[in-house]
Amino acid sequence: MRAEKYKQHSQKGKAKRAVLVSVTLVFLIIIIFFISLNTGSIYLTPAEVILTLFGQGTEQQNLILFDFRLPRMVIALLVGTGLAISGAVLQGIVRNPLADPGIIGINAGAGLSVMLFLSFFAVTTTISIILMPFLAFLGAAGAAFIIYVLSYKRSEGITPMRLVLTGIAVAAGINALMIVLTLRLNPETYQFLATWLAGSIWGSDWQFVLALLPWLVILIPFVYSKAMVLNILHLGEETSIGLGANLEKERRVLLASAVGLAAASVSVSGGIGFIGLIAPHLTRQLVGDKYEYVIPVSGLVGALLLLLADMIGRFIKQPEVPAGIIVAVIGAPYFLYLLARLKD
Amino acid sequence: MKTIEVNKIDVGYANELIIKNLSISIPSNKITTIIGPNGCGKSTLIKTIARILNVKGGAVFLEGEEIHKVDTKEIAKRMAILPQTAEAPGGLTVYELISYGRFPYKKGMGSLRKEDYEYINWAVDVTGLTEVQNRAISALSGGQRQRVWIAMALAQGTDTLVLDEPTTYLDLAHQLDILLLLERLNKEEGRTIIMVLHDLNHASRFSHYMIAMRDGEVVTDGTPEEVMTCANLQQVFQIDAHLARCPHSANPICLSYQLCQAEKASACCSINSASKAYHQTASG
Amino acid sequence: MNEQEELKEVKKTVRPIRGVIILTGGSLLLLLSLMLAVSLGAADIQLKTVWQAIFQFDPDLQQHQIIREIRFPRILGAAIVGSCFAVSGALMQGMTRNPLADSGLLGLNAGAVFMLACCFAFFPDLPYLYMILFSFLGAALGAGIVYGVGSLSKNGLTPIRLVLAGAAVSALLGALSEGIALYYEIGQDLAFWYAGGISGTSWNHLQIITPWLLLALAVAMTLSHSITLLSLGEEVAVGLGTKTGRVKLTASIIIVILAGLAVSVVGAVSFVGLIVPHIVRWFMGYDYRWIIPGTIIYGALLVVLADLAARIISPPHEMPIGALIALLGVPFFLYLARKGGGMV
Repeated sequence: MRAEKYKQHSQKGKAKRAVLVSVTLVFLIIIIFFISLNTGSIYLTPAEVILTLFGQGTEQQNLILFDFRLPRMVIALLVGTGLAISGAVLQGIVRNPLADPGIIGINAGAGLSVMLFLSFFAVTTTISIILMPFLAFLGAAGAAFIIYVLSYKRSEGITPMRLVLTGIAVAAGINALMIVLTLRLNPETYQFLATWLAGSIWGSDWQFVLALLPWLVILIPFVYSKAMVLNILHLGEETSIGLGANLEKERRVLLASAVGLAAASVSVSGGIGFIGLIAPHLTRQLVGDKYEYVIPVSGLVGALLLLLADMIGRFIKQPEVPAGIIVAVIGAPYFLYLLARLKD
Repeated sequence: MKTIEVNKIDVGYANELIIKNLSISIPSNKITTIIGPNGCGKSTLIKTIARILNVKGGAVFLEGEEIHKVDTKEIAKRMAILPQTAEAPGGLTVYELISYGRFPYKKGMGSLRKEDYEYINWAVDVTGLTEVQNRAISALSGGQRQRVWIAMALAQGTDTLVLDEPTTYLDLAHQLDILLLLERLNKEEGRTIIMVLHDLNHASRFSHYMIAMRDGEVVTDGTPEEVMTCANLQQVFQIDAHLARCPHSANPICLSYQLCQAEKASACCSINSASKAYHQTASG
Repeated sequence: MNEQEELKEVKKTVRPIRGVIILTGGSLLLLLSLMLAVSLGAADIQLKTVWQAIFQFDPDLQQHQIIREIRFPRILGAAIVGSCFAVSGALMQGMTRNPLADSGLLGLNAGAVFMLACCFAFFPDLPYLYMILFSFLGAALGAGIVYGVGSLSKNGLTPIRLVLAGAAVSALLGALSEGIALYYEIGQDLAFWYAGGISGTSWNHLQIITPWLLLALAVAMTLSHSITLLSLGEEVAVGLGTKTGRVKLTASIIIVILAGLAVSVVGAVSFVGLIVPHIVRWFMGYDYRWIIPGTIIYGALLVVLADLAARIISPPHEMPIGALIALLGVPFFLYLARKGGGMV
């Protein structure tokens, strides 16, 4: 009886911990958000920021805040959330802690299709902005499919390590193809594309928020409803079959969701890797392995990380060092650390 | 009553079948063990029974229903499996992992109900994991980990348990510990247990029914008394076995063995002293 | 006994003949492609004119000028770069018994580019001679991190692990050099090094790198027997009396020099060091005394042809040669990774 109480207590303790962690993260995000609002070529005091937010700002302050900084930061939050949750889901499906939409070639696929699109149409029309996440999704899904097929071996199925290796190679191939194709572009589009590939949060416009938001609003609750399935898949193929999970179907649906989340995010932010790797890992350290907690918390961690990276990028140099570069500088050593610890 | 009927199954890839036209019945409420040399198809057979592998031809029936056709969640309520290489994410606690055994009974996001908690607590209890239930899996020893997996399978609340080499990678004491646990589950709860074991003597000591395989075919099946004979072991493993009685179960066990010479394969069993010794023990 | 001896005898005579044929054939092909490369390009030049430019040079003729001052150094540069990458790849593969070793994949190239970026940022007026030294240093840095991570790993240096570590190190150093380029606004100077380009090669460069090249290749040749033994496994090599420590150290220095040289000329071109040794091994077997000269010739051949293709595919644009070779190299890599099964 005593043991039972202890158990109930401990389960509640974990939930409590998850809530505590989430609240702390939200708090941190709010703080960084305000600091970030003040970072940029024109300085606004915190008081001015708050006044402006409540509609008391001058015209210039309104412009800076509502048309430049706010949309940019909202996008950073959304993209960070999307990439982190996508990474968490991918890691669950392929059971590989090194899986990340950037590393395994999904970003590259999205990039290629966005590039093809950009080389034919202008970016600025609303329709093309709404279309871009779809195109990115198609490209990313294509890349994911190719990677999946190429790393499949009849005798042993898909081994996590081979999947990552194939992903890296396919990403290298797609990147080479993009470089070759950029020859067709005019210098202006080329410059734009180069910044995009480096992972700058370029879509500093509410339109991009609108294009990205529906994807997250639909996919994140869906993925969350699959948390229990992800818990089971994480135990391995044979165990999940034994527990009665419809393996192939669940995997396909979840993979498509992860690709969708990553592709929509990348179409707005460009090639940002490693968020999908770091955020779920940090989250697991904080709240354990249960996906009921991992999904929402890694979303928060991802948002915080990208917001921070974007701010640092703008802080280091005006107008900006792309956030993708900052994230890679933090993320690559983390990847190496994980690699050294991993048992295979 | 037979729990599982394997009816003329073909398993493998298009051009290389590992198992061809194999039929076998697994009795209810008994411990059944599959033995055989490496590559004989025993793992393939048990994975097919567990529906991890698909059949190319024939069918496997669980309580009269075709296992690959029934909804996989329904099967999971009647048969639990423990794969050979089960590895949990290190951060999970024992209790959390065991609670995943209730997955087949869950609908959508539904959280655990009272009945689920009862099953989980019972599984924790019966496997003797109460002390460690809030520890992380990664902090457990190999033997304890195997217990956790068995507990998860028990939490599924099924009558049938399928285990692929549950004692591999464990030391002597932990091997026995797991097998005694399985024996108790069979005796006290009447569970049907089907497993693959490498150790002949464990197989003989703990099972009611044994299936010996070689080259994807069943060479012989029956009680340990029927299967553990010199002639059968010679045919299955190509060994010249020296048999004796197990002091614990009185079933035949293999004391020591020699490799059979191919040319005198037919002769080696009848004239060796080992089998004589066994017959003496048996009669005395 | 007699029979065996005869067999040995036969083998001894057959292999050199086959080897010599393949080497001679390769040299002829190389010569032919060099001539083609000189005559084809943005302005086609007849072979006769090429001949005259060499032996009856007339400084007043513009075509002779183009040949002497632009095409020759460029094409020789291509050949040298090809040999460097290929030999460094062969040495790495033999020494580490890793079929996926390549200076690009294992982070050496990224390291060299990173140090070159530092050079441009901090010592913009450094003469080429010293830049090469930085390039060596960078290659050593990349290799050092990758091997360091690999050897810290729980399961040691499996090929897959090295490639993953290489990818992460490349991402890290790439992001850092990109950041430096953005911060110091030297992107223009660096751009060609990311994509790979030989067009800037001058006689001055060739003069500086040739002594290094000859020295490195000579040392590589003297090491070749020990590398053959090492490729059988460290323990075997020790058993046969190889001083493995010294051989490995020397070979590592040579690898770093060759990769650093090549990167300082052409930029971060991957896959040459991967493809060429494998192809040479198919034809010539596993004796590095033959493989090294083979890779010198066929490495040069590959890059000269790739450079030619880069120039004539869509004139007047030039394709970045690194991207072109990657398009070849990625399928090859995927094939090796798949075939490797147990080894990879």
